[in-house]
Amino acid sequence: MISVADLVKDPIIPGNYYAADAYVQGDFETGLIENRKGARLIALPDILLQAIYAGLDQEVGQACGVVLFNCGRWWGKNFYRRFVEEVSEYYRRPLAEMEMVEFLQCLKECWKTHGWGTIDLDVSFYQQGFLVVKTWDSPFAAAAPKNTGQPQCAAEAGILESFFSQLTGRNLHCVQTACETLGATNNLFVLGLRERVEPAKAWLQEGQDHDTIMERLCRTQAA
Amino acid sequence: MHTELMNLYYKAEENYLSNVDIKVFRHHIESLQQRLSTYEFLRDHEIEIFQPVADALQKKYPTENPQTLEQVLRQAIALLRYAAMAMLLNNPEFLQHRLLEWLTEVVNAHQTQTLWSSCHELLSARLQEMLTAAEQDLILPLLDHAQATLVGLPAVVSVHA
Repeated sequence: MISVADLVKDPIIPGNYYAADAYVQGDFETGLIENRKGARLIALPDILLQAIYAGLDQEVGQACGVVLFNCGRWWGKNFYRRFVEEVSEYYRRPLAEMEMVEFLQCLKECWKTHGWGTIDLDVSFYQQGFLVVKTWDSPFAAAAPKNTGQPQCAAEAGILESFFSQLTGRNLHCVQTACETLGATNNLFVLGLRERVEPAKAWLQEGQDHDTIMERLCRTQAA
Repeated sequence: MHTELMNLYYKAEENYLSNVDIKVFRHHIESLQQRLSTYEFLRDHEIEIFQPVADALQKKYPTENPQTLEQVLRQAIALLRYAAMAMLLNNPEFLQHRLLEWLTEVVNAHQTQTLWSSCHELLSARLQEMLTAAEQDLILPLLDHAQATLVGLPAVVSVHA
């Protein structure tokens, strides 16, 4: 016998913490935006993102990706801390006790509400030790130079590497294997232990596509 | 603030509102009163609404894991709370953003669509017993819309703000 009185004993039944209208609060007078916990948010205009890419290209040339990747890692470190704090406080459960689907929904909504596009996880390579992350409508890709022959979402790759390394407690590495700037419909990122995903970089240089890279990574893994 | 009332405030910036506008204003105020009393009713009768739904659901699915049933019921309780607020604000998007965008994939992953459909039918029937026709018109379209979203059917009801 299910007692509804017991079900509603806890007065709060949580919904979507990252609903954009609830999460992002703005004040016209001060010109500040903050999240629903009162932490400051910053808005990056497209022109600034474009300028970051152009400026880095001018200053450091080919090392642009490395710089952005390291910025992303730093960003991801703090992003993970905040994410865990906010989600476990709102849903009143530590992240480790949340169901996978709830965690994933939170991450998807969080990513979208922060304006980083849409994110999804592909866990079909889980057995082989790889996690594939798919993003699309990325503002970073939109601002980056197009058709350079190399994926351009280094900042996101850094964020993902840092985020999932902390989540899993393993030192993971992230390689982007498809990019919207190269005409792909999605940005694809492969996460796994460094020595296992590292070969993907060389195959990427050879011009191999995501599916081929995944096939080779899994084959190397099985061998 | 209701968008309709805000629009009237802006309109009244330089002159008196016309008779038609006043009529519209009165209509919104009356509608707001009705929404508020429906909201209060739903809030005050939460257990009374859901206990028969819970019993009937359990009777219909005697072999189902009680935890799964409890989970669906808890989600249904949340749905009615968010739908009630969306009704009060006269803003279906509130329900969409604050709950459905999050819940749809959760329901999908749990594969509880069949339970949801039954729960929705039982809840709608229960509300039809307890609410007046006018009150039903305020809340049921939101629940139908939510149901269509949750089980992945094209919406058969359109909800107008």
